[in-house]
Amino acid sequence: MQTQIERFNMTENEKMEAFLARIDRGEKIEADDWMPDDYRNQLVKLISMHGMSEIMGALPEKEWVPKAPTLRRKLAIMAKVQDEMGHGQLLLRVAEDLIAPLGKTREDLMQDLFTGRLKFHNVFHMEAPTWADAGVIGWLVDGAAIITQSMSLDTSYAPYARALHRICAEEKFHAQHGESIVLELAEGTAEQRQMLQEAITRWWPSLLMFFGPPENGNITSNQASNMRYKIRTQTNEELRQVFLKKYLPRIFHLGFTLPDDTIYFDEAEDKWVYQQPDWEAFKQIVKGNGPRSAHRLNLREMSYEETKWVRDAIMSFGRQVG
Amino acid sequence: MEAKANETFFIYEVFSQKSVSASFVHQFSLLAPNEEVALTMARENFLRREPCFNLWVVKRDNIHGLPPEERPFLERLDNKSYRETKGYGDLQARWRHHKEKYEEQQKHAGNGS
Repeated sequence: MQTQIERFNMTENEKMEAFLARIDRGEKIEADDWMPDDYRNQLVKLISMHGMSEIMGALPEKEWVPKAPTLRRKLAIMAKVQDEMGHGQLLLRVAEDLIAPLGKTREDLMQDLFTGRLKFHNVFHMEAPTWADAGVIGWLVDGAAIITQSMSLDTSYAPYARALHRICAEEKFHAQHGESIVLELAEGTAEQRQMLQEAITRWWPSLLMFFGPPENGNITSNQASNMRYKIRTQTNEELRQVFLKKYLPRIFHLGFTLPDDTIYFDEAEDKWVYQQPDWEAFKQIVKGNGPRSAHRLNLREMSYEETKWVRDAIMSFGRQVG
Repeated sequence: MEAKANETFFIYEVFSQKSVSASFVHQFSLLAPNEEVALTMARENFLRREPCFNLWVVKRDNIHGLPPEERPFLERLDNKSYRETKGYGDLQARWRHHKEKYEEQQKHAGNGS
């Protein structure tokens, strides 16, 4: 136990040592605890990216709200879009409390998104041209998200863990919503099955990219420090293998194929061996040069600008009466 | 009037009560310009599925908590058994002992008559 005076007298090195010892003991860090700048920066980067991805992720699915095939499907996909925006709100709150000591707010995060400084997930730069894409997004993209987020439930940063507990519960509904659409199409006509096959083929490289480049024995410095801080506990490739083991059998059980003839399960190594996607293309996509990057960012920025008067009006009214 | 979001939106902490007999539980926080919007957003953000009986929003500025360095002092030394039921674990056995002793005496008294 330390008193305030003792903390005040600690050198930066001693604070860092005490912090790492807390992490090693499995303690959780709160927003107002002392933390190294590096830890704060890694969290801000990760959580703001996650939060913005939730919001940007609602956009490709929102395109399918007016065109959903039945009323029940329309209600379900609307609910999912609403959930994603809610997840964005939770995560942005966590990020905001981290950047508050730096004098920054949500406005800065929004501007960073618009200028491209703040990235969002590769999958949300892609097109969703058919109803089968809506199904595949729910089933496999949300399925992939559940795997990453479940790993992070035990993250050392307590506010992020609390947000993820809420989020994971709802993502399970999303995955089931997607499975339901996919099974309906898979059990449907030849035309429906072809539509689904095309969507799986289209999403395959994006799904491999979802977890980020493999380490090939060299964990990047970001991954290494995030694991040291127990922000995350598994590498990109480990997460990807969890995903492949869970979902590839299901794709095959439905009689669908992947655009990779070489893929096989290596029993001895206990892992799927697959053709690498184009990681140069991945870099370009997350940089904002994906097929729908500009369109969706414009949509987000336009919506933010067009509703500015509402925020201003509520604020000035609230101040007058409050 | 142009509001600066940086300065004017407030952080509200949200608490909800599942049923009339349940305690209020902290849910999460949100940003809102006033209480009315905060209550609406709290319903949108946190009550899309869960049952709810009542809802509070509290401006974070009005919540006073312990600073990190004082939190460790909340940990209680485990030497207060006299305050807790577990400090009185011998009672059951002693009651049983008296009951058995009494029943034994009754039995002998009965035999003797």
